[in-house]
Formats: sequence, structure tokens, C-alpha cells
Amino acid sequence: MSKRIMVVDDSRLVRVQLEDVLKGTEYEVAAYCRSGEDAIEQYAAVQPDLVTMDIIMQGMDGLDAAEIILKNNPDARIVMVSSLAYDDTFERAKAIGTRGFVDKPFHQEQLLKVFGQALS
Amino acid sequence: MNSAMTKEGLEQILDQALQDVTERTAGVRLYQGNQPLGEDLCTVHITFDKGFDTSLTLCADTALLVRMAQNSFHEEAVSQEDLEEFSKEYFNVLCGKVVGAMFRATQVSAHFGAPVFYHGRYEPEDQDVQFILTYSDEHSEGAQLIHHVPRVHEDGAAPNHS
Repeated sequence: MSKRIMVVDDSRLVRVQLEDVLKGTEYEVAAYCRSGEDAIEQYAAVQPDLVTMDIIMQGMDGLDAAEIILKNNPDARIVMVSSLAYDDTFERAKAIGTRGFVDKPFHQEQLLKVFGQALS
Repeated sequence: MNSAMTKEGLEQILDQALQDVTERTAGVRLYQGNQPLGEDLCTVHITFDKGFDTSLTLCADTALLVRMAQNSFHEEAVSQEDLEEFSKEYFNVLCGKVVGAMFRATQVSAHFGAPVFYHGRYEPEDQDVQFILTYSDEHSEGAQLIHHVPRVHEDGAAPNHS
């Protein structure tokens, strides 16, 4: 049975790239949210196995959205997928309780490794 | 990025980020040169609102951005919406790389806002160009990465936006 991913990113390009990379794997994109606010609203209805969360988006940023989702759903598994990959954001993401960080532009191998760790 | 590091250091970070992200995101290699841009242009602009009081602008031949978008979406036909989506995400990733490299060099944590897309050339108000990096590809289509800094007024003060 496929593991269901909720993609949170304001760019359709990232959705296309993720669908490409996840083709033929055990993961499927179950929902796509274009903002942090949308993700908070949809999380309970979608109940994904994993959330991928961008950081820089219109409106609420992804770290704030992840924090709220985890506060409401402590078992949520969230992986940050962002180009803001440096110590400061790593530390904040870890402190919030996210399960991993994937640097954009991403590769399939890197993505699957972090997803596997986040779900283990 | 202002006084946190030298202009040469910043140029090197921007150049490396642009070349790396362009090739990895869109499969296009860009080379620094002096070729002027064409007349059909698009611009993407990002303002840094924490850490560095500055902005970055990418002004490029539309044909170059269209080809990069085609490569990224794996589609021959890209709509205006796709072009804008691609350009914003590409520049977002590029600026993320720049912020990461700047943090490693200066320990200053920066933040930038969502990218804004324009058809044609866009010049941010109340800012001056500090330097321009000019690129072209194998099809002689080009792009300029422009670093802007706040305009210093005659009294020596930066503009007050409050």
C-alpha cells in the first residue's frame, strides 16, 4: 500500500518534480497545498503519512505552519523541502519537531532516504 | 549583503549559486560574458527583509526562461502561468542557496520574501545597482543577475520605509 504524501509548496513546479521523482516508488502525492494556511486546514481531512513543507511561501512561512500542524497533531511526520538549507533553519526545523530536511533542488536518492528516516 | 562581506566575495557566491541552480533545476549551462540582453525580457525580484538590507533581481531573455521552464516541466508548451511559476521557484531556490552560503561566510541569518515576477525589465525603487553579473547560454540567450543596495540620499541617510 502506497504511503500518502501531502505536498505543501506554492510552486506547481515542485509538485511536478516530486511526482516525477516519486513515480514507481512506494509513495504517492495524496494532496497538494499551496500555502501553510491551506495545509493546516487540510491536514486533518487528508491524514497523510508524511508532509513535505516548503519554507518561503506567500503568507505564513513553512516553519510556522509545521509548528502549528505538529501542535495540533503531535504524530504528524513533516519533512522540510527547501533551498534554505543551513544551520539556522536546520536548528529551528529540528526544534519544532520536523523529521528531516531535503535541500532544493532535490535528487530522488536524497529524498527517499529522508522520507524513509522520517517514517521509521 | 551590504557591509557583511566584500563585493568580490558576494559576486563569487552569486555566480556559483546561479550556475549550480540553473544546471540542476533546468539543465541549462550559463557562462559569464558581456552579451547584451534582447528586447523581450522578464524579471524576477526578491527583497531581503532580515539580515541584509538588499535585493536581488534576475532579468532574462524570455526565450531563455521559456526553455528552462520547458526543461523543468518536461513540456513543450508552457503557458504564461507556467513561465511565471518556474521563474519564481527557480529564483527562490537560487536565493536560498545564496542565503545559505552567506550564512556560512558571515554567520548572519537572512530572510527574504516571496519572489515577484514582471514582464519586461523591473528596477526596484529607492535602490541603486551595486553590480551586475551577465550571463549567456549556448543559444546566445542571456540573463543578468543584479545586486541592489538601498539608495543613499544626499544627507547620507538610507530611505526610511517606516
